[in-house]
Amino acid sequence: MKSLALENLSKTYFDPYRGTQFTAVKDVSLNVEEGDFVAVVGPSGCGKSTILNMIAGFVPITSGRILVGGREVKGPGPDRGVVFQSFALFPWKTVSENVTFGPKMRGVGKAERAKIAEEYLALAGLSHAADRYPNELSGGMQQRVGVVRALANNPDVLLMDEPFASVDAQTRMTLQEELTRIWEERRPTIVFITHDVSEAVFLANKVVVLSKGNVLEQVDIPLSRPRSWDRLVEDDDFKALSNQVLQLVRSA
Amino acid sequence: MSEQAVTFSPMPYRRTWQAVKFLTPLLLLVVLWQLIVTLFNVNPRIFPDVPTVVRAGWGTIADGSLISHVGASLWRVSVGTFIGIVTAVPLGIAMGVSRGVSDFLSPLLRFFSVLAGIAWIPIATLWFGYGFGAITFVIFNAVFFIVAYNTLLGVSTIPMPLRHAAASLGVSRWQMLTHVLLPGALPNIVTGIRTGMGFAWRGLIAAEMIATNVGLGYMLFLARDFYRTEVIVFAMIVIGIIWLVLDRLLLAPLERSTIERWGMVQRS
Repeated sequence: MKSLALENLSKTYFDPYRGTQFTAVKDVSLNVEEGDFVAVVGPSGCGKSTILNMIAGFVPITSGRILVGGREVKGPGPDRGVVFQSFALFPWKTVSENVTFGPKMRGVGKAERAKIAEEYLALAGLSHAADRYPNELSGGMQQRVGVVRALANNPDVLLMDEPFASVDAQTRMTLQEELTRIWEERRPTIVFITHDVSEAVFLANKVVVLSKGNVLEQVDIPLSRPRSWDRLVEDDDFKALSNQVLQLVRSA
Repeated sequence: MSEQAVTFSPMPYRRTWQAVKFLTPLLLLVVLWQLIVTLFNVNPRIFPDVPTVVRAGWGTIADGSLISHVGASLWRVSVGTFIGIVTAVPLGIAMGVSRGVSDFLSPLLRFFSVLAGIAWIPIATLWFGYGFGAITFVIFNAVFFIVAYNTLLGVSTIPMPLRHAAASLGVSRWQMLTHVLLPGALPNIVTGIRTGMGFAWRGLIAAEMIATNVGLGYMLFLARDFYRTEVIVFAMIVIGIIWLVLDRLLLAPLERSTIERWGMVQRS
């Protein structure tokens, strides 16, 4: 795992309907320390997904730089693992084939891949589903696969794009708790995009509030770990922090 | 009543029921045919009765002519389809990778897939002469454009996040092709093959009437020259049955297995 730095990052789109330039991201600078967990929140259209897509290399940068471990990135690459809102599992591959997809592409041998599959499926609590196909799994299980598929490829940074937005509320809380557990165990560097304020506060060490393509404020979340909803739902600090971030987002 | 008496394994039962449902109308048609021919005393030159057709059929089986006609037809279809698939799939994928190229070529492929088949027979005979080459070319045409179009469609409808996911997991260009684009387009490719072979089979019969001296189409045409209506009817039945068997026992299950196993929706 390595640190991530955004330097004066901007993105301008051409809006074909209006015939004008549209600035989605304006001069954003942000440092994510190695092993840190940063959540980015903001109302829709604030540019949070655009930032993630630029870090992932899916959309070109208009100006500025993105550095992973000090090295400038261009285009998608295995140093930045991505977890998608739509899960994006390969439907023609089994769960364990999905999890070991990255290692296989790198030329990792079969025996080694079996070990990787075992380790990461256990981490996700999915050992029983190794040979099933994604469409046979619930949304929550599919996204567990999505998370460990990205982790199993040993990325420097893990990028998560509203990963729990399309599962039901109960499953979402479970997945959030599992993600904090995985983060505490392995300390991956995570950038987590969400529009859900309480999700951001629950998960992250630091919440970045975006407004109109700009960083409005960065809020540190000094809540103790391990975090669980049972505890935090009644916790005054959690409530105060959530409220603070919510006010920022609403003013954005 | 014991529980065991009412339980049964549902799968074989369903299959049998499906088969019965499928065959009953066809058998009724045969009964109706015989009834009408008998009741109205139809001239056998116009339409023979069932036993006459069965006897004629048995004759073509006994003298080996049926097997050589069927063999020739199936061989041509196999060769034409094979060449069509191996050329159309790579082309379709190559086109599907680029949105611009696919937008440009889609109308052309659609145009030619409508045209494909018997419309090519005259020019095929000019190019290849009468025989194997011309007929295989017609088959190839029927398969090629439809498979290429469906492959293109399949590749271009692979959800963007899947391609992004693969890129972020470190695939090379070649791996993107073999591990994402090809399997992602496979349900459409199979659908294309199934549709294309349907056209190919129809085109084949037509081409064989004109451009050869063996094959099921030729068998039909020859029988007409000798006023052997019973052979014509028998050949028509054989043509239909072979296609149904090919489609229902080979192509449809293939299509179903790729689409259902992966839980993909048929998109074309």
